[in-house]
Amino acid sequence: MAALIELQGITKRYGDLTAVEDLTLSIEEGAVFGFIGPNGAGKTTTMRILTTLLRPTSGQAWVAGHSVAADPKAVRRAIGYMPDFFGVYDDMKVWEYLDFFAACYDIPAATRKGMIDDLLALVDLGPKRDAYVETLSRGMKQRLCLARTLTHDPQVLILDEPASGLDPRARIEMRELLRALQGMGKTIFFSSHILSEVADICTQIGIIEHGRLVAAGSVAEMIGGLRAHRAVTVRLVPGAADVAEIALWLRGRPGVAAVAEPAEGEAHTLRLDFSGDDAALSALLAYIVGRGLPVVAFGEEHGDLEDVFMQVTQRAEAA
Amino acid sequence: MADRSVNSSPIAQSDSGRRSAVSGLLTNPVTVKELRSRMRGRRAFAVLTLYLLILSGVITVVYLAYSGNVAGPGSSAARTAGKGLFAAVLAVQVFLVAFIGPTFTAGAISGERERQTFDLLRTTLLSAESFVLGKLISALSYVFLLVLVSIPLQSIAFLLGGLSLTELVISQLLILVAAVAYALYGLWCSAAMRTTLAATVTTFAGMLFVTFGTPLLAGMVTVLGTTFTIGRVINPLFEALALYGGLTAAATNLPATLILSESIFLSEDAIFGFTQSTATGTIWLFSPWPLFILFHLLAAVALYILIVRRVRRVSDV
Repeated sequence: MAALIELQGITKRYGDLTAVEDLTLSIEEGAVFGFIGPNGAGKTTTMRILTTLLRPTSGQAWVAGHSVAADPKAVRRAIGYMPDFFGVYDDMKVWEYLDFFAACYDIPAATRKGMIDDLLALVDLGPKRDAYVETLSRGMKQRLCLARTLTHDPQVLILDEPASGLDPRARIEMRELLRALQGMGKTIFFSSHILSEVADICTQIGIIEHGRLVAAGSVAEMIGGLRAHRAVTVRLVPGAADVAEIALWLRGRPGVAAVAEPAEGEAHTLRLDFSGDDAALSALLAYIVGRGLPVVAFGEEHGDLEDVFMQVTQRAEAA
Repeated sequence: MADRSVNSSPIAQSDSGRRSAVSGLLTNPVTVKELRSRMRGRRAFAVLTLYLLILSGVITVVYLAYSGNVAGPGSSAARTAGKGLFAAVLAVQVFLVAFIGPTFTAGAISGERERQTFDLLRTTLLSAESFVLGKLISALSYVFLLVLVSIPLQSIAFLLGGLSLTELVISQLLILVAAVAYALYGLWCSAAMRTTLAATVTTFAGMLFVTFGTPLLAGMVTVLGTTFTIGRVINPLFEALALYGGLTAAATNLPATLILSESIFLSEDAIFGFTQSTATGTIWLFSPWPLFILFHLLAAVALYILIVRRVRRVSDV
């Protein structure tokens, strides 16, 4: 699949401050890319460069094959952008807001009305069609702004912190909307400083810290690849065997890198650091069962993106 | 507003090609948006009513001041009253285009920046030209509406006599050109300044200087010049230069241009220019209004180009 968004060695400096340093990134068509990093890491700067609003100090960027610097108009046609902070006009109705931006995208007046109704239905603002924009709640404004990014049916959506400042319910609605948009074939590039927000809807993530991209890849790759070892839990029948002895046996088995001392309160549970593949893991289970050990449960603990994030950022900090 | 049937009627479609230039201006997204918001509700009409009430009050005062002498329409006293009325309405129009119009445009671009709506616009396909034109037209259309509704009141001067069509046409032409140039100046301040407050202050200061500061300077130069030349033989070349310089300076100022063009029209019966005899010979002098129009059209074009460049510029920060 073709890369729809490409950044090549993008650097942005403001005087002595480096906001983004040598950022190279490629996002495939149809991907939902979560751009994760703490506040001030350079996420907004990167997005402003991609949306033709900001000139990078050096480096090149392309969206849908168009150079951001050389052909900004084609880039603007291809993207829908939602900034982290955006204003709305006073004295303007919801449908007028969408009508105005649709007109700015050269959509003929005749097709606008139907399109506005469709978009309002999509973001669940149909009943608010004739309400004044300033009377909408934060979540509704956010959804209206998302509808605005769709007026010209762009291939790429660039959303800066789409869920920030929303209550839990509005967050869930926003997440459902992003899923629906992905289903419509949009490539979505969005940022967040909260990992759990993006974990279950992203296909790709990139982690940025102090202007440097510290990790990027598909979610599966990140979880699998960044954890060199798998965490396996073995739970034994309480009091049925000498846990310390069993731990000693297991240490000698192929693939077992380490066995953690049982934690307090769960003396019958052993945590293994396992480095083998699935076949090796299955062989280990067969061995344990074959030895007649009193096993109640045997399973792999799945790491989540939070773990990856902590690992990656710790490594970046140490470097 | 919700009724779009007007646009889709067969008649409107049949001559759409001919009207494309005009409708292009009227369908400018920014103009449509601004006018929708501005003309909504009672506020716009309240402002119009208040404006007409004040204008009527001014006209009544001016009329009463003259009316003691008015014998009947067309009499010389009635003509004086007519001229007085015309001057009063013109003064209000000057105030409108010099101070109200530019104040509208002074917040046009900086306001988008402050409300954080500018970035949204800049990522759309809306060109910088459309944006600037849309802002200009929406601000001017309101000013022109105010000028337009004052015409019926101004026409009372016709009833009294003493006002020719030439005077009316030239004065309204000057007001129109000045309105465009001054509104663009406000828009330029708005594009150049970070905040609406700074833009408004700069616009207001600039308009104060252009309207009242330059005549003051000119007056000082004249006083100095006459003191310097008293009792001396005047070099004819110097005199010609001083006269032309004075007229050119007057052409940079709206009230001075209006007053001078009017007095040249009345005293010399000349629209464009006349021959004046001086101590050393004769000299051809021009009426300042064509030069005013030229200056202000050039300024308008230059300001427009500067604003479009500023709006189009990709940010470095």
